[in-house]
Amino acid sequence: MGDIERELEATLHRVLDPISARPIPPRRALHSRSAFRTVTGGAGAALTVKLLTGIAAAAAAVTVAGAVTTGSVNPEVWGQTITSTVESCKDNLANSGAHGIGQCVSAVANTHGATVSNAARHHGNPTGTNSGTGNGNGNGNGNGNGNAGSNGNSGSSGHGNGKSTSHPTPPPRSVH
Amino acid sequence: MESSDTGSPPADEGRQRETYKPGSEADFERLYRNTYRRILGTLITLVRDVPTAEDCAQETFERAYRSWSGWRPDAPVEAWLHRIAINVAISDRRYQRIRQAGEIVRRLGRPGPGPDPALLAEQSDVFKAIQKLPTKQAAALVLRHYHGYSNREIAAALGIPEQTVASRLATARKQLQAVLGRP
Repeated sequence: MGDIERELEATLHRVLDPISARPIPPRRALHSRSAFRTVTGGAGAALTVKLLTGIAAAAAAVTVAGAVTTGSVNPEVWGQTITSTVESCKDNLANSGAHGIGQCVSAVANTHGATVSNAARHHGNPTGTNSGTGNGNGNGNGNGNGNAGSNGNSGSSGHGNGKSTSHPTPPPRSVH
Repeated sequence: MESSDTGSPPADEGRQRETYKPGSEADFERLYRNTYRRILGTLITLVRDVPTAEDCAQETFERAYRSWSGWRPDAPVEAWLHRIAINVAISDRRYQRIRQAGEIVRRLGRPGPGPDPALLAEQSDVFKAIQKLPTKQAAALVLRHYHGYSNREIAAALGIPEQTVASRLATARKQLQAVLGRP
């Protein structure tokens, strides 16, 4: 037996013998485990991890769905998108003399969603057709929030955070 | 239930001398009295302090009681208990890690609790080094060098091959030597 083993045995007996020699307490009655221990221990821990992963995945799915619909993960941009669209539709309808912007807004939402979805699929494609006025935000989720009026001037007021110009997104679409 | 037993546990207390009938309430109580100290001794080495070890010992016997009717008398009963105790200790370490994170956030700026005074006076560098080993390695050391189990008995207790026991013991000794700066 080596020195370390002798020292090990001596230490264990010196420390543990006095504590082990204490009176034996009554055996604890069976009780249900605390909720926290159930959640954090053993199989409960594994279940908790799965549950949290599921919740995170669901939250991510909602975020992505919102991003695809509006063109941005930023809630402020979602609001701007809708405001801009409503304003555009109002202008168009005022010029044409018609009433009701429901169909116009709906059409914009549908086309805009398809556009952004397509842009996301082609993320990383450097051959953008934008001439420098696009809304590249570095992750390919540029938003086409240009304040496009009925004159079709699509390059006048697009906004973006300008983090990157290597991933241009399609130019803002004119709404008619 | 007795609570007046005192004195150091005999080397082979509760080991292979007694016979127990699975499912018998009286036999389980006898098993508890015969093995509690040895299980506690193992757990003190595996968890951070004596109160936690006592709590884990009770948890061990609770789990054992739930499975008592299914225990097979051909298996060494103390090895079976040690296996449960080690699993309880592993769960406790995991639980403590999660709890510590919450504690740190809760008492930001305030000093944390000191080490257990019951153990502090007796602790040596060797004991502290054992407590820092991975649970399974520390368990192998305690079973070998405190309870005097053979490698075969440790293998039965932990449900692993003897070769694995030898490997764990060698690794644990090397780590201790490295931590303590011994040749």
